[in-house]
Amino acid sequence: MTGPEARLARLRGRSLPRSHNARTIAALASNPGCARRAILDAAGADKQRLAAYAGFPAPFGQSRFALARGNAFEAQVKAEGAAQLLTLLRTHLNLPIPEAHYDDLGEVGGNASLDLRHARTRTLLARAAASQDEAGTMFDHPLLRLEVGGRHAFLEPDLVAFRLHGRFHVIEIKSFAVIDGQADGDKVAAAAIQSAVYVLALRDALAEQHIPPEAVSHETILVCPENFSNRPVAVSLDVRKQLTVLRRQLSRMARIADLLDLLPPDLTFDLDPDRDGVPRRRPAELAAAIRQVEARYAPECLSTCEMCFFCRDEARGCTAALGRDAREELGGVEHVQTVLRLAGRIDRPAPGTDLAEAAALLRQAARLRAEALREAV
Amino acid sequence: MTEHVESLERRIGGLRTAVREAVLAGDRERAAALRRDLRQAEQDWEDALTQAEAATPQEAPPVQAVRSGAAQPTVGPAPRPGSEAREPAPLLPLREHVHQALSLLTVPAAPRLIATVHEAFFAGTFATARLTSLKRDEERSFRSAPFARPYYICAALTADLLAPARGLLAISTWPMERRVIGSLSLRVDFLTAAIRVVEAIERLPGPVPATRRLLWRFAASIPGAAAAAAQLDPFAVRQAAAAELDVHQATDQHVRQAAAQRARAQLDDAQQLFGTRTQLAPQIDRRRGS
Repeated sequence: MTGPEARLARLRGRSLPRSHNARTIAALASNPGCARRAILDAAGADKQRLAAYAGFPAPFGQSRFALARGNAFEAQVKAEGAAQLLTLLRTHLNLPIPEAHYDDLGEVGGNASLDLRHARTRTLLARAAASQDEAGTMFDHPLLRLEVGGRHAFLEPDLVAFRLHGRFHVIEIKSFAVIDGQADGDKVAAAAIQSAVYVLALRDALAEQHIPPEAVSHETILVCPENFSNRPVAVSLDVRKQLTVLRRQLSRMARIADLLDLLPPDLTFDLDPDRDGVPRRRPAELAAAIRQVEARYAPECLSTCEMCFFCRDEARGCTAALGRDAREELGGVEHVQTVLRLAGRIDRPAPGTDLAEAAALLRQAARLRAEALREAV
Repeated sequence: MTEHVESLERRIGGLRTAVREAVLAGDRERAAALRRDLRQAEQDWEDALTQAEAATPQEAPPVQAVRSGAAQPTVGPAPRPGSEAREPAPLLPLREHVHQALSLLTVPAAPRLIATVHEAFFAGTFATARLTSLKRDEERSFRSAPFARPYYICAALTADLLAPARGLLAISTWPMERRVIGSLSLRVDFLTAAIRVVEAIERLPGPVPATRRLLWRFAASIPGAAAAAAQLDPFAVRQAAAAELDVHQATDQHVRQAAAQRARAQLDDAQQLFGTRTQLAPQIDRRRGS
């Protein structure tokens, strides 16, 4: 076993490694500066369990109702050989009429084993890429693989990689509504980054067959319900930016050794389970171990990371915990306490420094606030 | 006649074992379905004996003895053999409903579509969840007494691996070409089903809202069929569906015929109806093994 691998295995302890999925990979890219997340993910640690054991269980995971709604919408769009989806693609992308092939890759001959499905996906995609005529249009639930931090993660594009004019497009079906041409920005961003993960995985799969990456379009297609109906609508998403972020983050994961060097050699997140799997390690000790790895908490973490409550508690008193905008408004000062001292003229930084400039602004703000409050009274 | 009765007796024996296993396993739905099969088989057995009795009247007393000894799990008076006043079953079995809907569509279909078609044309609804166990029950019934029923609700087969296609039901009496599914077949079947639905609507004496809703479901996904639900014209839907069908049919037919030939040559009777899961993808197994 190589150096970093052994270190990561020690960090993980005796639990089984958790594998990545599109959500976790996307979450990685949303906060690339967080060493804690990078290390825990690279080690394949069970963050949910660690956070819960350290006393900060995250109310995390998708709601049952959201899942059911998502599945129902996906089933509706894909019913009868993806009839509704086909209509969308024909109207929005001018898909030629003869291109109506539909291949179900969710199962290979009644067998849903991941390896079988992955092998079959590769065969079918390579065949489709190699031939010029219609050798496949829609591939339902292809199973792709992406190397993340030295391990392969299986990825299942929500729907289909489909071939239009010789290029593959990744299609993502989401159940949030596009109302009057507008959708929730956060949700679209999450969908875009997930699609980017699939694009990357698809390019990897084709590269193994010596097919250039241009065969997979950076334009992905997002299918959502339109307005308040159940009728699907398709929009194109350009994921070039997300692809760059992802690539950088993945290469960073590959260079995890640099991050590991900063940590004490005997650090571990092992829960020290007894024979029945009941943890024996003291929660406070585990929390101390986790604190040794630097985190970069931002409010966005609350929707993507299982460690969020732990990090939020740790970041109490920091301006970063208030969000990026608030931090900027407060002049980029790190602690709330410092901000208050500067505003209250308790601290007087030397003139000419960055801090002095921030202090002047904060004092001004404090004065305005005091005036406003006096008027209100 | 004797062989028929004996095969029924074997079947009844097999079904009783299956009911016991299902009850012990706590699978109520399956147990109920098997009990229905069992009652049907026992009824068939009674009918067969009645016919035998008519042919040889001197055997009547033993038959009566057997009848009175048989513990029938029916409510109310047991039907008398040969009597005209046999009470009809309160509802058709589920398989009959499915058969009706599939016969209208003439192509393999998913449970949801089957339920919708049945609701629109035959005024009765059933939970699609019940259809999931139906195919399994049919397979079990076929394996215990092959071809004992006039038809079976069976699987559609994937053209490449001849495995059961996910979530599709078909009728065993259809030619194999109709029951294999290539990559274009779902589209072809969708268009064919649309045409059949139009034909069925034209046979109706007056407009029925449920059938129009069903037709709109098809028309919305066929180019040039209808602009809006309010302007739905069955004739235009048929024209549009036929036009697109022309584009796909030859390619699809080619794939289906080749696959059907392969299926007939390679598979035994049960596999032809319910697909194969064993002899799949040997090339993939080899790759995994290496």
